[in-house]
Amino acid sequence: MRSIIYILGWILLVLAVLMLLPIATSAIYGETEGIAFMVVALCSAIAGIAVIRKRPENINFYAKEGLACTALGWIMLSLIGAIPLTLSGEIPSYLDAVFETVSGFTTTGASILRNVEQMSRTTNMWRCFTHWIGGMGILVFLLAVLPMVGGSNMQLMKAESPGPSVGKLVPKVRFTAQLLYGLYVALTVLMIVLLIAGRMPLYDAICTACGTAGTGGFGIYNDSCASFSPYLQWVITIFMILFGVNFNVYYLIFLRKFRDALRCEEMHWYLGIILTAGFLIFRNLAGQFATVEQGLRTVFFQVATIITTTGFSTVDFNVWPTFSKIIIILLMFIGACAGSTGGGTKVSRIAIIGKSFYSYIYSFLHPRSVRKVKFEGKEVEVETLRAIFVYYTGVFLIVSISVLLVALDGFDFETSFSAVAATFNNIGPGFGAAGPAANYADFSALSKCVMIFDMLAGRLEVFPVILLLYPRFWQEIGMEIYVRRMRNGRGYLDRRNTRGSR
Amino acid sequence: MPEKRRMPTMHIIIVGCGKVGITLVEQLSREGHDITVLDINERVVRDVTELYDVMGITGSGVHMQVLREAGLETADIVISVTGSDEINLLCCTIAKKVGKRLVSIARVRNPEYIEELPYLRQQLGIAMIINPDLEAAREIGRIISRPQARSVSAFAKGHAELVRFTIPEGNVLDGKQILTLDRLFSFGYILCAIERDGEVSIPKGTDSLKAGDDITILAASRDVNKIFTAIGMRTGSLRSCMIIGGGKTSYYLARQLLDQRMDVRIIESDPKRCDELDALLPEATIINGNGSDEQVLKEEGIDSVEAFVALTGIDEENILMTLYANRIQGLKTITKINRITFNDVIDDLDLGSVVYPKYICAEEITAYVRARRNSIGSNVETLYHMFDNRVEAIEFHIEKGSPVIGIPLMRLKKKDQLLIACINRNGKILFPRGQDTIEAGDGMIVITKHTGFGDASDILL
Repeated sequence: MRSIIYILGWILLVLAVLMLLPIATSAIYGETEGIAFMVVALCSAIAGIAVIRKRPENINFYAKEGLACTALGWIMLSLIGAIPLTLSGEIPSYLDAVFETVSGFTTTGASILRNVEQMSRTTNMWRCFTHWIGGMGILVFLLAVLPMVGGSNMQLMKAESPGPSVGKLVPKVRFTAQLLYGLYVALTVLMIVLLIAGRMPLYDAICTACGTAGTGGFGIYNDSCASFSPYLQWVITIFMILFGVNFNVYYLIFLRKFRDALRCEEMHWYLGIILTAGFLIFRNLAGQFATVEQGLRTVFFQVATIITTTGFSTVDFNVWPTFSKIIIILLMFIGACAGSTGGGTKVSRIAIIGKSFYSYIYSFLHPRSVRKVKFEGKEVEVETLRAIFVYYTGVFLIVSISVLLVALDGFDFETSFSAVAATFNNIGPGFGAAGPAANYADFSALSKCVMIFDMLAGRLEVFPVILLLYPRFWQEIGMEIYVRRMRNGRGYLDRRNTRGSR
Repeated sequence: MPEKRRMPTMHIIIVGCGKVGITLVEQLSREGHDITVLDINERVVRDVTELYDVMGITGSGVHMQVLREAGLETADIVISVTGSDEINLLCCTIAKKVGKRLVSIARVRNPEYIEELPYLRQQLGIAMIINPDLEAAREIGRIISRPQARSVSAFAKGHAELVRFTIPEGNVLDGKQILTLDRLFSFGYILCAIERDGEVSIPKGTDSLKAGDDITILAASRDVNKIFTAIGMRTGSLRSCMIIGGGKTSYYLARQLLDQRMDVRIIESDPKRCDELDALLPEATIINGNGSDEQVLKEEGIDSVEAFVALTGIDEENILMTLYANRIQGLKTITKINRITFNDVIDDLDLGSVVYPKYICAEEITAYVRARRNSIGSNVETLYHMFDNRVEAIEFHIEKGSPVIGIPLMRLKKKDQLLIACINRNGKILFPRGQDTIEAGDGMIVITKHTGFGDASDILL
């Protein structure tokens, strides 16, 4: 229990440091919104330092501690990250501010703002920057910078990183995390440079690159990316697709193992799906575009933005024919590759269940046949398969209950369902009243709460968030005992010390 | 805990996650190395990677593809400790062919290969071939030669020994203040650690000893017997020994004891193995019977031997037999424990000397890895874990320019729970007093509860 609080303390401190970016922005542009950020950053830094001053003897993370840390950390991050937005008066309702922040950290990009251009540059920078942090993950960041001696910190990384099985690039967690962030920063900087080369102002380039890198999708213009030049749209399209690829591939490229990098099976599926979906939609929309280039650009921009769960847009795909819209909905649930910054249920999971479905069907023909499911050239363990099926059950449950609750608002089916799908899969825009040209401001408070939950559940892949709803979990991680002792006015820590436990 | 000093880390591939493999992972990852483990059992790999900060790969250690995935090209050391000697040898051979500069360590336990080992090592280019059974037998042999001690470890190239023993009821040491021990011992020594009620401490002069304490004393090898004489314990090695179980360790041990002209009795339940042992060890008495049967033990004269060694493959049986044997006054008992990990409980049982082959084997390999590291910048010579890794005894080689040189020890600002036990100056063991200083070229032995020291200067605050 102590170790969970300790990590949460570090998250507070890191959050304070991250807020320096909007503070700096506001100093550069002479905006007053920075004051709110400064106050919050200061408070959270003080609270963080107070907690981490005393390092617990053993930091041991088992699965449940890792999950608890992740879920609690993300919730805390969102609740505190939202305060400056309300404090500065830009988003007066705290619930709306939390929605916006959760949408930022989970890289969803669903906004409750009716007019983004009206917001201060400080706030917009913070909104886009939350995407960048949330994309690779705050705990991975923590692992990269914190010297954590002893114990296994892999549980922290596992709970936060997307994908059915999380592996390491190098033997130590810390260096793995550093490598991931290194690659992430390098790609982001490359994108900023390319955007600036396309005559985009520096501020816009940073915001857009952060939004793309995290596969977030907060725009700083009301029409998202529609007014950008064709060159910029192509750059954004390509980088969206790049950020949706498993980062292992980039590590292999970094090591100059090009052949191994190209062999990544998940990437083949991913690119295959993008090309197929793009082609189908292009055929479906034939004749709507002035030139072929414009058609390809528009179609692939939307396909990339949906499959990588970014959520930018250059057209209102709400007005597309139903066939194209259904493809978009399917892409929403597929999502990007495992080990990328994208959301959704991940290409590898889809590929694995597809293969195991096929092998099950095959077993009807040859009941005694031995046919193991293989992925990336390796046999998929039964345990992993089971986890994937349980995961999909969780997705199904959460999505259906959420749709039911959101339906209370009285929107049509298309709106209710696509809003839940778009928030759960961390995309952003849906269809109908939640489409690319609209926003989430008109939903009721209850719906917003449900969608906040969906966004977190989607980003953290269901289990950490579900576990928080399970009373037994609090007991098991020792939180209940902690709270009870605090209430009795007798510090849990003091008592441990006097007993001299080793 | 402050961040550890930057020490040279090595990339180590450990093939096989059995008992020894896991113990190695535990020790080497604590020392900060980059470790990749290989095992064919996915479940085992997952368990290891969840417990320790290492990378796991499922696959066979003799597959080139798998070894490459584990980073063979960048590896410094490959340690193969699977259950099969042949796989270990093959894995090390392959590894050596790919990485010319890496060193490989293989575990080989089949006695049939023993004669061939030097040849194999040379021809296959394997740096170290370790036989856990033989190592365990050697350790047991050392304990038998110092029967009063619970364990004995050699330091400073054998010039100094670390002996651990329990203070018996009514001994002169009972109730003595540590400062006054000097009157009892007229030679150099140092009291390194005391274990009382499961708590280990590094003693100060004002502490007192009690009967039942487990104490560890460091002394020059030739003085060790004087310790026991001074406190009125019997000295001299033992003349007869009963070994239960006729496995490989028993064979090596019996061979060694017979060479010292001891009377050896081996009790083994498998008649076929008895025949083999009889052929291998004609001088020993081989008894075909069940060692866990009280009648058999009595009949074969447990009351008349001086040492009792439980070496069957079943830990529980070994423990029970030892508990039974301990009822006999004056019988030195030694128990082998392979698998069980409840170290605290085993300590509480008062079994006397306990030997853990997996620790011995892992320790030997760790020592070799450390020596490799020394050649690239650390100056730890040997390191021993005592009291289940709660205390470490480390021998540092003092280089020129080290900040500990030339300062009288009483003025050295040392960390808490740390003791400079002795100094090895050109093979002479010195037990330093407050005004003594450390010089370049010395070997300094430090006893500490801290972990992860890599340089002599780490002892300073």
